[in-house]
Amino acid sequence: MEKIIEVKELRKEFKSHSSRSGLKGAFRDLLTRNYKVIPAVNDISFSVKRGEMVGYIGENGAGKSTSIKMLTGILTPTSGAVRVNGMDPHKEREQFVRSIGVVFGQRSQLWWDIAVQESFRLLKKVYNVPDEVYHDHMSHVIDSLDIGPLLDKPVRKLSLGQRMRCELAAALLHNPPLLFLDEPTIGLDVLVKLKIREFLKEMNARYNTTILLTTHDLSDIEALCERVVMLDEGKIIYDGGLSSLRSNWGEGKQIEFQFADTAVTKETLQPLLAEMEAAWTPGGRPNVWIANVLNEEQVISEVIGRVVAAHKITDLKVHEISIEDIIRNIYEEGVKNG
Amino acid sequence: MGKYIEMIRIRFLMMLAYRTNYYSGILIYSINIGAYYFLWNAIYGDKGSIEGMSALQMTSYIAIAWMARAFYFNNIDREIAQEIKEGKVAVELIRPYNYLLMKTMQGLGEGIFRLSFFSFPGMVIVALIFPIAFSADPVTWLLFAVALVFSFLINMQINLLTGILTFFFYNNTGLIRAKRVIIDLFSGLLLPISFFPGWAQQIMNFLPFQGISYVPSMIFTESFSGSEVIHAVLLQIVWVFILVLPIQTLWLIARKQLVVQGG
Amino acid sequence: MKYTQLFFQYAAQYMKTRLTYRTDMVVEIVSDLLSQAVNFIFILLVFGHTSMISGWSREEIIFIYGFFLVPFAIFGAFFNIWDFNERYIVKGEMDRILTRPIHSLFQIVLERMELESLFGVITGIAVMFYAGSRLDLTIAWYDPFVFVLLVLGGTLVYASIFILIASISFWSDSPTSIMPMMYNIGNYGRYPVNIYNSIIRFLLTWILPFAFVGVYPAAYFLGRENWYLYAFLTPVIGLVFFLFSIFMWNAGVTKYRGAGN
Repeated sequence: MEKIIEVKELRKEFKSHSSRSGLKGAFRDLLTRNYKVIPAVNDISFSVKRGEMVGYIGENGAGKSTSIKMLTGILTPTSGAVRVNGMDPHKEREQFVRSIGVVFGQRSQLWWDIAVQESFRLLKKVYNVPDEVYHDHMSHVIDSLDIGPLLDKPVRKLSLGQRMRCELAAALLHNPPLLFLDEPTIGLDVLVKLKIREFLKEMNARYNTTILLTTHDLSDIEALCERVVMLDEGKIIYDGGLSSLRSNWGEGKQIEFQFADTAVTKETLQPLLAEMEAAWTPGGRPNVWIANVLNEEQVISEVIGRVVAAHKITDLKVHEISIEDIIRNIYEEGVKNG
Repeated sequence: MGKYIEMIRIRFLMMLAYRTNYYSGILIYSINIGAYYFLWNAIYGDKGSIEGMSALQMTSYIAIAWMARAFYFNNIDREIAQEIKEGKVAVELIRPYNYLLMKTMQGLGEGIFRLSFFSFPGMVIVALIFPIAFSADPVTWLLFAVALVFSFLINMQINLLTGILTFFFYNNTGLIRAKRVIIDLFSGLLLPISFFPGWAQQIMNFLPFQGISYVPSMIFTESFSGSEVIHAVLLQIVWVFILVLPIQTLWLIARKQLVVQGG
Repeated sequence: MKYTQLFFQYAAQYMKTRLTYRTDMVVEIVSDLLSQAVNFIFILLVFGHTSMISGWSREEIIFIYGFFLVPFAIFGAFFNIWDFNERYIVKGEMDRILTRPIHSLFQIVLERMELESLFGVITGIAVMFYAGSRLDLTIAWYDPFVFVLLVLGGTLVYASIFILIASISFWSDSPTSIMPMMYNIGNYGRYPVNIYNSIIRFLLTWILPFAFVGVYPAAYFLGRENWYLYAFLTPVIGLVFFLFSIFMWNAGVTKYRGAGN
């Protein structure tokens, strides 16, 4: 399959000046400044095939938005190569951006004071979309996103969820083969989130649209993406399937016991797990202890059996380790078995 | 009181952080003064004096008027308008300080910054390029300093007034622009009030604007004689008191309106 | 062609929004008129105390001011980029601009147009006719064409200086106060440059060529033949500076750092 995005050794450095503290420091800053060169994106390489939906995740300042901005032609790379849709995003910017759609969750693409459909009309001209194509494609988009009734309202009168759906429609107006979504569901309620996810899946199925998604909400990624690229301090620390992420890091289960008897301590519990690959961690509440065990029937029933035989319990829960826990673990412990 | 002084300090530090402004500002004000210097020299031609001022007094007047402007001028009116539009004023009102006083202090911080880093070095540069007469009399300097404080206050009050008017007009930018243009002309920044025809001078005696630029500049160039100086400074003081009235009135009405609308 | 179409689309949208806030528009026009009046009053006041300034009469100076108003009004209508740094760099609106398939500067011109400023064209022409009739100037058949050409040149001069200053924002992260002050410097182009010394004259002719917005082109209509060379240089200077400013803008865009870094 052809590669839509190809990134090699991509790097972006920012010069930042540190200001000295206090009044005296500020005076010294007037004359000279300390510059530091910080690589926001540090020689990353990856590629995305047509039709893939990729989750692009990382903490704030990990280099997510800087790299997205290089992929969309907004920023010029310090070094390295980017090919997106067969073009160099920055050099051929005006030609290139016709082939992508962009949604920045916190920034509106629409004109604040005019009706949504007027915004669409301007964008249609901006992207030079022929009438037939527009009507055919947009009527479908408008239906799926259910924004028909909003079209004659000015953007400033829309709720966040309504606006976001319109933003999405605006980004897809020229039916781009590649869509960049930066925090598209931030601040939205669950129903709107679901609707947007449904819609994205549909676009992907119908037009084979490639989607690159950054988000803080990992449920978006679980719902949409088979693959995640994870960044930390400007470097890619994981690039692979969501499922293998789960099987590599998330193979265990957590069994949470709430004991009736208040005298339970780690020492009294320890022998119960003897020769097994498991460990106790405190559960955060009094008398609650968590057994971290392998995800195997035998082990789980063995542990529960032994604990219940030895102590009286008032509650019992079994958790699967969530994607969020996994990712937190990766950030805390670094990549061990990737 | 401490919090107000803190506000002056913070604004001062904020100004320090924008160093490009500061370098370019002096340069541009100097170019400005220079252009007026040539214009006025051309206007004087071979005339010895116009309206009792020599060409030298006139260039000194222009130079000091601009450098004083660096001290009293600020965009607090625009800031207030912005905060009203964005609804931030409602939040400011529940804070334990007087909003208008706080804004004044911010303006003062800005003014002190510009006075020390802009007007003083700027004046030195301008004096090196153009012939400017500095008084040797310390009393003149003292009176100038006093007049400058009141010119700051009057300009600040007019800024507050324009800012508060945003409560009553949705978009205030036109008014703010018009105000600036009017102040430049009627305060005596562009030319001394004594150059206006008699009837216009009469009218302007009933307006606060000449307290902003004309009074300190005339004192600095010693174009006022003894009693005129005292009279002019007294007039400034009177205006500072008079202007409190419309500000407080509008502010009260505005606050009531704010409560009614729920911010 | 596409850009012309787009221009009219945006202009139509602009009119629609503006007409919903009619009072704003009136206030805007009135405040424009007011600032024009203040400058006019300044000239009148000064001539209350002298009859000639460096060989120019009151009517001639008024005529120069009238001419100046025309390119300045056109500039004001389309190159409202004095808050470029605040609006597009600091707040990151430039990100959005750069994801659209139109030249970035052209998009900003479209977004920021303020057509009511064009009212100044009328004021300017009226002032020129007033002064012209008192000077007994005659109009040749080709004069309107020369006028359009010179106005265009003057507009480009203004536009390019402000584009250059806006471009600085791509390199320097400090909000710049040069913009508002540049408006003041620009005003000096409306007085005859022979009142300034040679350095300033040089500056206003070749570095910040504001003299090509007022006095040089106006000299042609005032029949000041010794200034004709400069008058006809107006479109050339305008074009050269404009091309240079576009070049700097394009170079600046590659240095854009994005918002929030």
